[in-house]
Amino acid sequence: MANPLVQRELITALRQKRMLLLQCGLSAAFALLVIIRWPTDPRMALSGTRSQEVFRLFGYGLLSVLLLMLPVFPATSIVRERNSGTLALLLNTPLGSWRIFWGKLLGVLGLAGLMLVLSLPAASACYALGGISLRDDLLAVYLLLALVVLQLSTLGLLVSTYATTTDAAVRWTYGLVLMSSVLTLGPHQFFQGTETYLADVSDWLRCVSPFASLMSLTGTGDVGAVGLVSTSDVPGRFVLISLVLTAIYSAWTISRLNHTIFDQAREAGVISNDQSLGTQLLRRLVFLVDPQRRSRAIGPFVNPVMVKEFRCRRFGRLHWLLRLIAICAVLSLGLTYVAVTGTVDWGVDTIGGIMVLMQVALLVLITPSLASGLISTERESGGWPLLQMTSMSVLSILWGKLLSVLLTLLLVLCATLPGYLVMVYIEPGLTLQVQRVVICLLATAGFAMLLSAAIGSLFHRTAPATAASYAALLAVCGAPLLVWLGRDAPFGHDAVENALLINPIAAALSVIRLSGFRDYQLIPGNWWFLGISSAVSLLVLVVQTRRISRPQ
Amino acid sequence: MSRKDGGMNSEKPVVVIEHLTKRYGNFTALDDLTLTMSAGQILGLIGPNGAGKTTAIKILVGLARPTSGTARIGDADCVSDARRIKHLVGYMPDRFGSYDNMRVREYLDFFGAAFGIPRRKRIARIDEVMETTGTTYMRDRFVETLSHGMQQRVGVARTLLHDPQVLILDEPANGLDPQARIEMRDLLIRLAKLGKTLMVTSHILSELSRICDHVAILTHGKLRAFGTVEEIGRMVSQQRTIEVQLTSVEQIAAASEVIRRMIETDAELIASPEESALRFRTALPEAQLGDLLTELVRSGIRVTQFRELQTDLEEAFLSFARPTMPNKPPQPAGAVAAVGGIAHG
Repeated sequence: MANPLVQRELITALRQKRMLLLQCGLSAAFALLVIIRWPTDPRMALSGTRSQEVFRLFGYGLLSVLLLMLPVFPATSIVRERNSGTLALLLNTPLGSWRIFWGKLLGVLGLAGLMLVLSLPAASACYALGGISLRDDLLAVYLLLALVVLQLSTLGLLVSTYATTTDAAVRWTYGLVLMSSVLTLGPHQFFQGTETYLADVSDWLRCVSPFASLMSLTGTGDVGAVGLVSTSDVPGRFVLISLVLTAIYSAWTISRLNHTIFDQAREAGVISNDQSLGTQLLRRLVFLVDPQRRSRAIGPFVNPVMVKEFRCRRFGRLHWLLRLIAICAVLSLGLTYVAVTGTVDWGVDTIGGIMVLMQVALLVLITPSLASGLISTERESGGWPLLQMTSMSVLSILWGKLLSVLLTLLLVLCATLPGYLVMVYIEPGLTLQVQRVVICLLATAGFAMLLSAAIGSLFHRTAPATAASYAALLAVCGAPLLVWLGRDAPFGHDAVENALLINPIAAALSVIRLSGFRDYQLIPGNWWFLGISSAVSLLVLVVQTRRISRPQ
Repeated sequence: MSRKDGGMNSEKPVVVIEHLTKRYGNFTALDDLTLTMSAGQILGLIGPNGAGKTTAIKILVGLARPTSGTARIGDADCVSDARRIKHLVGYMPDRFGSYDNMRVREYLDFFGAAFGIPRRKRIARIDEVMETTGTTYMRDRFVETLSHGMQQRVGVARTLLHDPQVLILDEPANGLDPQARIEMRDLLIRLAKLGKTLMVTSHILSELSRICDHVAILTHGKLRAFGTVEEIGRMVSQQRTIEVQLTSVEQIAAASEVIRRMIETDAELIASPEESALRFRTALPEAQLGDLLTELVRSGIRVTQFRELQTDLEEAFLSFARPTMPNKPPQPAGAVAAVGGIAHG
């Protein structure tokens, strides 16, 4: 019997106008990827190097597109149904959890399949160029992409069963995708070639990332290879890990698709102030800032929208912020301690590189989740007309909202600074570098906030706003790194430098003089780019907010 | 905020809408709406979906601009005095406008602060509105975990925070259970007694008819009827429905004969044998109805009741909402079939 969910999931999605735009955009992007590196020279190299370069770039581009665009579909699939009440109806049918899961998975796979099919003309062009094997290159890459699709889809569906809002689902899914595909590459960079067990662990860990496998398949070598020959079967390990993870995610999701999703008591609303004095004292001692205390009324001279944003954000309350700051400070000092004790092995620049990378990754990860829903969440929840009806001006509302994000980001950044202070204390020569890094981080925070807020303001709903913001920010941060991966071949120094100019991560890493980035002069070009982009984003945000606030 | 702040005067109408029209391209959402409201009045705005109720409300609260016409609340124009309108009006949209992770008290505190109420005054005011709306017990509950009925009450509390003179409530009873509906009804009546002017839209017409002084019926953007519930009932039918209660079912035929003779021969009579009753519609004045009763008694028909049935709001609404039968008289309850001019219920 045909699964009715497949048709609904797939056909409904394909009927949307934005899907048509997506298809056209993808086709154009894939074509562009090939055109960029298409040989203009009438002579052909018999070695096929040129076509391999084209194919490599195409492969990275295709993988990036999947990682950026696909997760939003499974991530919102179940939570949206749950919130709109249709999941309860579905669970009440004889379909059963397995068929519901299967229907939703096939729907997402259908969309992903469409994306891959759209890439086939570009892939055929690469193949026609010669120099790449149908089985060992083309098919292998597509098999890898198919596994990535399967893993992403099941992960997204699993997150969707836990999330209570669509934007939370999107945030968590993109966070996990970023972690599994990029952050897992990090440890190998530092532990490769060492004799410790950490080298083996990090070697396996990097196999979780599809980038490592793709690099291995396309013959680029290991990420951050330092001249050591890797004997690991990275693609083989990826296949194994991917299949195991897919099976785990699937089983987990199926086990969640039952009454337990709805079978939750409403929050009782217990407040410490109403409990005994002993309990109150104990909670104050344990929590420092008791999460269950009765909050005070909003004070004078404080923007109420800012307070509201902090209060209604899941991790926006003071006790959560204190925890985040504590973690950041401890991590920062921990890394500095490693720098002090292990400078012989790694060097201060390497440790500084890790710190910069972690800080920027943190900014890129949390900023869209904070800023993209500033306007769209209000529009989605029906809160915008209520805000409009208050005495506050549009600019005041906007300022309160931006302030809530800015303060959070500044707190996080400040919490990560102690490490730099220790580094400067040990090596005063680093002062200028650290100052520049701090400027880079501040500029990145401002840029990420304004870009996400501006993009988010264009949407009516939070989930697509969050997804679009993540996609834009990851594209700015990720796409130039794809070009950087192809430094020397196929891209020359100037091409890589020009591409990296828009990348805040690369700029910060070049300032800290991390190996691989120290040869590029990205400052002040990057600051100009971030400054102008931030100004444009702010303008878009103000204009769009004013537009939606005008009476109809 | 005192009543004077808004330039209110109980002598003058509080809400004045004149020739209000709103067009979206070729579509006319609101067509030449004119009505007024006095202080302390409860106006029920009713109409089918897409009738223009929400458009009218949005214009009144400044969320939409009229294509032509004017709307004033107190001395403030809804288009040019948007800032004053915000202080004069408490608006509760049909969607609650919930925020995650906020307790009820924090939610009210936020809106109070957004209205610029000083902290000390706000704390007291929150207690006051919670008391008025009966939401004090849920002050530490998270807003998103409240039931729909509770959320509606919190919504009303929110609209009261800045002590507006006019409350505009879009579907406040929508989705509420009977108990919650009764509580909401009592709350609205209580607010009117406190001197608030209320404009309420609802689909639950029986509820509206119990609380509203006046009713405006909108269909296709046009005001079809405006007046008290009784006036609307009269407007629906120039004829009245009269019920004659008899002592036995056998007398129905004889009574029908007398009624036909006295009114008109082809008059539609609706018989309800189970109730031993006859109902008919007539435009006769009181005096002639008295003659009819005298004639019935004189003919030996034993009448236990002779009364006019009220046309309820639901019937009036249906009468105006049905485009094909705009003024067809409503059928009294109990009539299930009509044969040869006499219906047997």
